Amino acid sequence: MNMAQTHLHKVELLPKDYKTDTKPFWCPGCGDHGVLTAVYRALADLGVDPNYLVNISGIGCSSRLPYFVRSYKMHTLHGRAGAVATGTQLARPDLAILVNGGDGDGFSIGGGHMPHLARKNINMTYVLMDNRIYGLTKGQVSPTSQRKMKAYTTPYGGVEEPMDPVLYMLTYGASYVAQSLATDVKMTARLIKEGMEHKGFAFINVMSHCPSFNQIDDAKYFKGAAEELPEGHDVSDIDAAMHAVNVAHQEGRIPVGLLFRQERPTLDEYMAELVKQAGGSPDYDLRKIIDLARP
Amino acid sequence: MDKNDLIIRVAGEGGEGIISTGDFITQACARAGLEVYTFKTFPAEIKGGYAMYQTRASAAPLYCQGDTFDVLCAFNGEAYDLNRSRLIPGTAFVYDGPGGDFEPDVPPGVYAYPIPMTQTAKEMGSIRSKNMVALGALSQLFNIPEDALREIIVAKFTKKGTTVVEGNLNAFTRGRELAAALPKTDPWQIKAPESKRDVVVLSGNDAVGLGALIAGLEFFAAYPITPATEIARYVARHLPKRGGTLIQAEDEIAAVSQVVGASFAGKKAMTATSGPGLALMGEMLGMSFMSETPCVVVDVQRGGPSTGLPTKHEQSDLFLAIHGSHGDCGRIVLSVEGVGDCVGLTVEAFNLAEKYQCPVLLLSDGSLAFSTQTLPYPDPASYRVVSRKRWDGKGEYRRYAITDDYISPMADPGTPGGMHIATGLEHDQDGEPNYTAANHEAMQAKRFRKLDGVVKDFAPVETDGEGEADLGIIAWGSTIGVVREAIARLRAEGVSVKGFYPKLLWPMPAEQYEAFGATCRKLMLPEVNFTGQLAHFIRSETSLRPESYTICGGLPFTPAMIVGKAKEMLP
Repeated sequence: MNMAQTHLHKVELLPKDYKTDTKPFWCPGCGDHGVLTAVYRALADLGVDPNYLVNISGIGCSSRLPYFVRSYKMHTLHGRAGAVATGTQLARPDLAILVNGGDGDGFSIGGGHMPHLARKNINMTYVLMDNRIYGLTKGQVSPTSQRKMKAYTTPYGGVEEPMDPVLYMLTYGASYVAQSLATDVKMTARLIKEGMEHKGFAFINVMSHCPSFNQIDDAKYFKGAAEELPEGHDVSDIDAAMHAVNVAHQEGRIPVGLLFRQERPTLDEYMAELVKQAGGSPDYDLRKIIDLARP
Repeated sequence: MDKNDLIIRVAGEGGEGIISTGDFITQACARAGLEVYTFKTFPAEIKGGYAMYQTRASAAPLYCQGDTFDVLCAFNGEAYDLNRSRLIPGTAFVYDGPGGDFEPDVPPGVYAYPIPMTQTAKEMGSIRSKNMVALGALSQLFNIPEDALREIIVAKFTKKGTTVVEGNLNAFTRGRELAAALPKTDPWQIKAPESKRDVVVLSGNDAVGLGALIAGLEFFAAYPITPATEIARYVARHLPKRGGTLIQAEDEIAAVSQVVGASFAGKKAMTATSGPGLALMGEMLGMSFMSETPCVVVDVQRGGPSTGLPTKHEQSDLFLAIHGSHGDCGRIVLSVEGVGDCVGLTVEAFNLAEKYQCPVLLLSDGSLAFSTQTLPYPDPASYRVVSRKRWDGKGEYRRYAITDDYISPMADPGTPGGMHIATGLEHDQDGEPNYTAANHEAMQAKRFRKLDGVVKDFAPVETDGEGEADLGIIAWGSTIGVVREAIARLRAEGVSVKGFYPKLLWPMPAEQYEAFGATCRKLMLPEVNFTGQLAHFIRSETSLRPESYTICGGLPFTPAMIVGKAKEMLP
């Protein structure tokens, strides 16, 4: 693992030092509180300088998380957090980029961006807080809701098959894919920390129960369905990762832990190389470019 | 007879070298010190279809593509059929014959020159040199600088080896010989000026890219779309030299999102698109306005609505540009007249975005996108370049502090003490969400009052003519150039006429419109759209009631059309 990340500016802070004055607005008992605690812990463990941390989110309950984290931050549009973060990361590869969002934000309205964040290997950590429901709009089925779920707009039960976020991200070419439960703060913090240390696009799906609108996938359900990856799971083996997820998905289980990790160049590295080859510099004389347009 | 303003149209099947023939003529004329203004049409499909490239060359300044051609060079029967109605007495007609795919019925008064282009090319061993035979003939007949053409042919084909270079030069020479054997009956000759000026030849799209580089562009994101993609091509080629970053986004929503993300990170960022892409960007432009994050978007307008006429010219995105976001959303909208503006106003778009921390839209159009024009060598040092106001690090930082000019200093990530949130939610001066009536009213007022300075900041609208006039013509975009030429002709006939050429379209310099209108007995507003979009804004923002003159056939106005309309309005 590449421990020497230039974008992590080492400081010594405690988890509470990453808290802002704004109190989390989530319902009591919401899994998002656990994710937030894990984020604080991961940041403190890594010693991320808040001045060089940019926390970006879309829209939804979970997308409020940046308000509670001391950092530079953007609260963007529904589904666009990853795309906005791409611009920030490429413009300033020296920054640490943390993206938060929900299942609807990431895989419904923002689903078109996910493949490209993954395959382009944009150097950021995307923590998806998956509650399998639209919470902020008071309970409609999401792309990860179980079929037959009765909700706001599915009074007779939902009719669509859910998708599996980690299976998609493995397929899309994410270079770090992990899954955990919001109730397991320790594991979640470790996976976020490792994700931020990872050079490239790190995706962590955190099952974050919604006590207000999702009565099916509650904390107890997630705990019962969760299953640690077998001893000796090879995190460099994409087939093993996909197999594990596929089998678990079919059997209604949720594999937790680090599924897959791969070292490969990030988009900003490729671009830096390209600029280097072009002899690129802000001092490059524009006249040399303009001269090419002489008749 | 010398003609100091000659229009040559080359037309035929796409893929026959029509575009490169036109390019060679254009480059040679510009090398010889002539002004050029080109106009092209090509099919939306990749292979085949009718293609046309028209070069206007003159020793005097040129503002538009003109009315019609003086010389038509037809490579095939389709080109002849499509242009036959414009073969009016006095025009010259060079065509592929004998041995071509058609036998023209040359209209009376037209000077015809049959050149066996296809046959000669075949005899010389390469049908691909057909366009070089045509180029040679045109060069001989109309005095297109021969030496410059030879230099350009050599430069163009050197990479392909000496055989290809020789083959093309021989075909060119043969074309000259064939034309020299015909009696020259028409009076048209291009005459190059004595003195040469330091110029460049750029298309509108390339010029936008250059303008962005001069402005200090650091990040560019775009999704391919006709007719804007050449901007990305130009930037992709040159931005890495300046150390900048370019990304091809997965869609236009991502492109503008990446621009906002990069701008938040402290970089000068832009995207370029056409109408369909701009329609997708509306929500993020609202985020740019709400979060006060600078953002530059170039819209190269094409025929709409929907997929519309992707390769055709129209000026129909003004409604979308000015109001295309939900909620009350401010922005600055500029539009370019010609290639020179594509450089200068792109720089200005960045300056305004940086200063006012809001979305700035720059409207170009389908005919300008591909039109190449000469312009004086653009010295980068001659452009004013503005960067955003940054926090000085003193005291406590408030990202959205209400200041005297309503502009709040920004802090790039990494600035100690400058941590803040850029949010699309309504927020207070610290960026904290706040939905109270008093706060929303205060912050909306802040974001809009900030823009009060724009009109004063921007150069006053150019007025063509002084005093009172019987007719005033208001024009925007590339229609301005057409109106300039029409006004010159009308004045030569003794018509009392003035022009008004706004380039800052929003916020609207209403007082300047009023002042212009007060000096004109009647007002005309020609624009290439169905609904009269600028006329609509003038009616809503001023007391003026200009007579709308709209066309939407996929082509720009001609000066003759404007002259005709003026005479109709002033019986």
